[in-house]
Amino acid sequence: MVKTIIINGSPRAPKSNSKQYAEIFRKYYTGETISFMINNRNHSEICDHIEGCSDIVFVFPLYADGIPSTLLNFLKTLETYQINQKPRVHILINCGFIEPEQNNVALDMMRLFCRQNRYEFSSTLAIGAGEAFLTTPLSFLVKGKIKKFAKLVASKKTEHLSVTLPLSKKSFVKASTKYWIAYGERFGCSKEQMASMKIE
Amino acid sequence: MKLLLSDTPLTIHLKKENEIYIDLSQLKISNCIGCFGCWTKTPGKCVIRDDAVKVYPMIANSEKIIYVSHVKYGSYDTIMKTMLERAIPIQQAFIRIHNNETHHVQREVKNKDAVIIAYGELSQEEKDIFTRLISRNANNMSFSSYRILFVTKEELTSTVEQEVALW
Repeated sequence: MVKTIIINGSPRAPKSNSKQYAEIFRKYYTGETISFMINNRNHSEICDHIEGCSDIVFVFPLYADGIPSTLLNFLKTLETYQINQKPRVHILINCGFIEPEQNNVALDMMRLFCRQNRYEFSSTLAIGAGEAFLTTPLSFLVKGKIKKFAKLVASKKTEHLSVTLPLSKKSFVKASTKYWIAYGERFGCSKEQMASMKIE
Repeated sequence: MKLLLSDTPLTIHLKKENEIYIDLSQLKISNCIGCFGCWTKTPGKCVIRDDAVKVYPMIANSEKIIYVSHVKYGSYDTIMKTMLERAIPIQQAFIRIHNNETHHVQREVKNKDAVIIAYGELSQEEKDIFTRLISRNANNMSFSSYRILFVTKEELTSTVEQEVALW
């Protein structure tokens, strides 16, 4: 059966950027899809649905330089499941930094999971500036890359893609500062309060 | 402060007042929910008031730190990884350029000498990925120096004792 399961491994799945990226993927992907957001209670349900799928697309953010513990927990459950026909695995990862290559270690963790558990590791898309990308006038760049990634998944080709905002690091720092100040203002938190050096 | 943070119980007796041992497996620490509250609502404080809120200020305050963690897929296994994700209140939302890469600005976090004792039956590939992870952590966790020691579970206690003795 040709069916793709999209698994969102973001700790804030319902409100996540990963959810938005997954929705863009679905828009451009021509095949049948089913989607899940990992939580503590639905590991078995997701594993049951993996059987019978031709492809898995894991969508998640970089967390503390690696894969989020939400996803790590799920992978540990998945490796205990007997899946007879293992789907090919694709990864759509995003990080808040401008360098998409900061995602590489997390991608290699997923590659290792696949090798250890005999899943074919296929295409990847690493997104930089992933927190704010979709709110910028340049969002078409990331959407275009997701479209290309969706075509790769559909055509069973393997390629490793990346995309980020075309800004210098300095300009990115400036733009991200503006973004976070506006984010804090929504909760009545000033730039000075957000920049507090105090912990607890 | 000198902190020994472990994901498994250790039979170790720290002698000095400023030496602290925490066994994360005995604490109640839930997953980070990615709400950004610690950056944009209550800066420096996590909105989830479980045991993690006692641990991350100690991580920030330590000048010497030993992490003891099982390794899975080249990552810290879930107990340590969950705690490290819950430690993001020690950073700000704001981004800086550090070592020619973009990283979050740190709050009042002391530079630290870190030793990471990684245990499990690990392949060379797994060790290589974990080594790259720690090198990335060094940028984000204020490591002025770090060493990684790969050991089996049986070697854990003696390795920790040796490293604590070096404090």
